[in-house]
Amino acid sequence: MDSDRRKVLRWLGKGSVFAAFVAQIGAAARAFFPNVLYEPPTTFKLKPPNIYPQGYTFDAEHRLFVIRAAAKFHVISAVCTHLGCTVQWRGTEFDCPCHGSRFDPNGNVIAGPAPRPLPWFEVSVSPDGLLEVDSLSTVPEGSVLTVPTEKT
Amino acid sequence: MAAGRKSLWRQLTWPWSPDSEREASEAVVRNLWLHWFPAKVSIRSLSWGYSFWLGTVAASLFVILTVTGVMLMFFYVPSVERAYGSVKDLQYAVSFGRILRNQHRWAAEGMVALAFIHMARVFFTAAYRGSRALNWLVGVVLLLGTLMLSFTGYLLPWDQLAYWAITVGTNIASQAPVLGPTIHYLLLGGHFVGQQTLLRFYVLHVFFLPALVWILFAYHMWRVRKDGGLAGLEPVRAMRRAEPKEMPRTKSYSLFGLTPGTSVAVMSSMGLEERDQVMSSPNLTRRMILVFLIVFNVTLVLALLFNAPLEGPANPSVTPNPAKAPWYFVWLQELVASTTIHIGSLTISGGLLGGIVVPGVLLAALVAWPFLDRSPEAAQGVWFARSRARQNLVFALITLAIIVLIVVGLYLRGPYWRLYWPWTARPVMPRVL
Amino acid sequence: MEERQQDSLERQDFAWLVIMSLLFFALVAAALWSEYATAWRPFQTRFKRDLAQAGRLEDARKFHSGIKQIWNPELGLVDRCVTCHLSYEWGGILPASLPQPLTPHPALPFMQHHPFERFGCTTCHAGQGWATTARGAHLGGAGWEEPMLSKRLAASCGVGEDELIQMRCNFCHRRDSSTQGMDDINLAKKLFKKKKCIICHTVEGQGGHTAPDLTFEGDKNPELFDFSHVSGPKTAFNWHVQHLIDAGKVSPGTAMPDFHFPPEQARALALLILSWRRIDYPPQYIPAPVAPPAAQPVSSSQPSPFH
Repeated sequence: MDSDRRKVLRWLGKGSVFAAFVAQIGAAARAFFPNVLYEPPTTFKLKPPNIYPQGYTFDAEHRLFVIRAAAKFHVISAVCTHLGCTVQWRGTEFDCPCHGSRFDPNGNVIAGPAPRPLPWFEVSVSPDGLLEVDSLSTVPEGSVLTVPTEKT
Repeated sequence: MAAGRKSLWRQLTWPWSPDSEREASEAVVRNLWLHWFPAKVSIRSLSWGYSFWLGTVAASLFVILTVTGVMLMFFYVPSVERAYGSVKDLQYAVSFGRILRNQHRWAAEGMVALAFIHMARVFFTAAYRGSRALNWLVGVVLLLGTLMLSFTGYLLPWDQLAYWAITVGTNIASQAPVLGPTIHYLLLGGHFVGQQTLLRFYVLHVFFLPALVWILFAYHMWRVRKDGGLAGLEPVRAMRRAEPKEMPRTKSYSLFGLTPGTSVAVMSSMGLEERDQVMSSPNLTRRMILVFLIVFNVTLVLALLFNAPLEGPANPSVTPNPAKAPWYFVWLQELVASTTIHIGSLTISGGLLGGIVVPGVLLAALVAWPFLDRSPEAAQGVWFARSRARQNLVFALITLAIIVLIVVGLYLRGPYWRLYWPWTARPVMPRVL
Repeated sequence: MEERQQDSLERQDFAWLVIMSLLFFALVAAALWSEYATAWRPFQTRFKRDLAQAGRLEDARKFHSGIKQIWNPELGLVDRCVTCHLSYEWGGILPASLPQPLTPHPALPFMQHHPFERFGCTTCHAGQGWATTARGAHLGGAGWEEPMLSKRLAASCGVGEDELIQMRCNFCHRRDSSTQGMDDINLAKKLFKKKKCIICHTVEGQGGHTAPDLTFEGDKNPELFDFSHVSGPKTAFNWHVQHLIDAGKVSPGTAMPDFHFPPEQARALALLILSWRRIDYPPQYIPAPVAPPAAQPVSSSQPSPFH
C-alpha cells in the first residue's frame, strides 16, 4: 500500500522532472526560430514599367532581371537555383560565378549543376502604377505581363 | 621524500624533473598537470616513426587556437557593421594583432590538415580495432568539430569570401531532404545571411564548438589510456606473449619489494615488460614539450611571413567571380558543381548529391569501418599491414581523389568556374578604373 | 636497461629541445621586432626632425610616435594615412618641397569647407584608410575595390590625378549644375545637358526611358559590361569612354547615337557617369544645391572653356 503509493509518487516525481526538462529544451530550441525578421518583404514594388529599357535590366537590390520586349514584361530571378549565388546576364546567357551553371535567355539550364531553371516571378502592375513582384509566386516560363497603354 | 629540505621552487617543480627513479614514479600522481599521464610509458609509443605524434601536433594546434582565439575575442566585434572593421584593426592597428590573427588562421588550417592526417595514420595502422573502435568514433566527431570550427570561423571577418562561402554552405544544408529548409532557417536565423547568422556562428565558434572539442579531446586522451595505449603496442605485447617466460619465482621487481611470486611489474597488466617502458616524467613530458615547441614555432613562422587572407567587405549584391571555398572545402565545391544528375524527368541537385549524399556516405563509411574490418589481429598497430592492403588502397584512393579535387578547385578554376590549365591565359576581370 | 633507454631518449631530444627553445626565443624576438620596425616609424622620426629644423621645437617635443588616424564616424571614415603623411596640415610651416610621404598638403581653395578632421584623406583620394602599410593603403590589396587615385592610375586612364579626384567630389556635388574647381565634371555636366542625354536616359527620376537608368551607374559591377568590342584596358571607365565615342561599335545594335566626342570630352563624361554612386553620407554633408540661375544660360552651344 504505502510502498505502492511511494512507487507511484516517485514515478510521478521523476516523470514530471523529466517532462519539464524536455519541455525546457523544446522551449529553448523554439527561441532559435525567429518570429520576426529584419528582412525585405517577399512582395515588393519595382519602378514604373515604362522606365525599363528594352531587353534585360538587372536589379541588384532585389536580385532579379526585368525583361522587356515592347509592352511585354517578365521577371526572372537572378538567384542561381543551385546554391544561391547571383547569376550574371552576359548578353546571350546567364552565367553563375560560383559553380559554373549556365542558363539560356529564358532561364533554362544549358549546362552546369543547376537543377532547375531560373524561376519566373509573378509580376503585376500595382494600383499606383509600379511593377510589383511576388517572389514567392512563380509563373510558368513564357507568361508575360502586357502593359497596354505603353508608349515609348 | 624529504620535501622539507627542498626549496619552495623545487617543491613545486620536482615532478617535472625528477631526481631519482622513485621520484619519477611518484611524479605523475603527485602533480595535477601530470596526473592524466600513466606513470610509465612504453618506448614504442614515444617513437617518432610509429605515430609521428600527429595527435599531439593537432592538440598543440588546438591549444594555440584556444589561446589566440580568446585574445582575438577581445578585439573582434560580432556585428555586421563593425566586424570587418575590427578585423582590419587587428591587421593594421592592434599591437601584434596581425601576428595573432595570422597565427590563429594558419593554426586553424593546420588543425584541419593534421586532424585528417592523424586519422589517416590511425587507419593505415588499423589502430581502431576492438575497444579502440569507440575512440575512433570520438575521433570522427572531433574531425567534424574541427571542420565546423573552421567553417564558423570563416564567416566572422564578414568579407566577400565569408559572406558567399556561408551563403553556399547553408544552401547546401537546405538541400537536405524534408528538414532542409528548416535547418537553413535555423542556421541563418532567417532567410538571408545577416546579423542573426553572424551572431549564431560567432557563439558556435567561440563557445559551443570549442567546448565540444575540448571535452571530446579530454575523453579521447582518457580512452587512449583505457584502451591500453597506442595500438602500436599490440605487436610488442604479442611478441612478449610469445616469448618463453623464464621468471625467477622468488625475485620481485615491485615498488616496495614485497610482492610474492611472479612480480606484477614483470608481467604488468599492460602486457609489457620493464625493458619496454620508461618513466613518463620526464621522458613523455619532455617530448610533448618538444612537439609543442616545434608546432608553435612553425605557426609563428607562418604568421610572421604570410598574412591571413581578407577580401573586400561583404557585398550581398555582387558575387565574387569565382567565389572559392577555403581549400579544405573546395573539394566539396567541386563535387556540388559536378554531381547534378538527370534521370528522365527527375533531377537531383549537386547540392544534395555532392554536398550531402557523398560526404554523408564518406562519413558513414568512417563510422562503420572499424566494425567491418575483418583483417587478422596481427594487422593491429602495424603500418600498411599486408593483410589490409586492399582497404588501405581504398582509403588512399579516396584521399587522393579528394586531393585531386582540391587541386583542381584551387588552381584550375577561373571566372565562372570554368577550367583553365595553368598554361592557358585566364580572362582579366574588369575593374572600375 | 631502462636507465640506458632513458639516457638515449634524453640524448635524442636534448639537442632538438635546445634548438627549438632558441628558435622560439628568436621568433618571439622577431615578432617584437616586426611590431617595432614598422615602415612608418622612420617617417615619424624624420617628421620630428623636420619640425625641429623649421623651428617648431615645442611641437617636435610634443610629438609622440605611434599610429595616427582621422576618425569620422558620420562618414564611416578611418584614415590612418596620416601615420606617414604627417605634415598634411603643416603646409604653412614646413616646406612644400619635402619628399613624400612628408609633403604637406597644398592649401587648395575648397579646403576650408572640407577640413581634414571631417573629410580625412580617402574621401577625395580613395585608397584604404584602415591600412598602415604603403601597399595596403595605396593598392588596397585583394578585394579592396577602391585603390588610391594615384598619378599612375590617372595616367592609365589618360587623365590627370586631379580629374580623377573630381569624380569623387561629384559623389556629393552631383546636384550642382557647376562647382568651382571641378572643371572636368562641369564640362561633362554641360555636355550632358547639351547633348540632351536625358531624352533617353533617366538620372535621379528625370528623363526618358528608352535607355538604361544612369542614377547609380557608378555602382555597376564592371563584370557586367560587354568588353568584346572594346580595345584597351578592361575597365568600366574605358568602356564608357569608348562607348561615348562610338556607341555603335561598342554595343552593336544599340539605339544610342555615335556622338564621336573628342577623347577628353568622352573621358570627362565617363568620370561623371562613374561618379553617380549610392553614398550613405548624412544630409549635412550633401551640399545645398546652388540656386539655379534665373535665366538659364546652359545648353547654349558656346565652346567649352576647358581643354
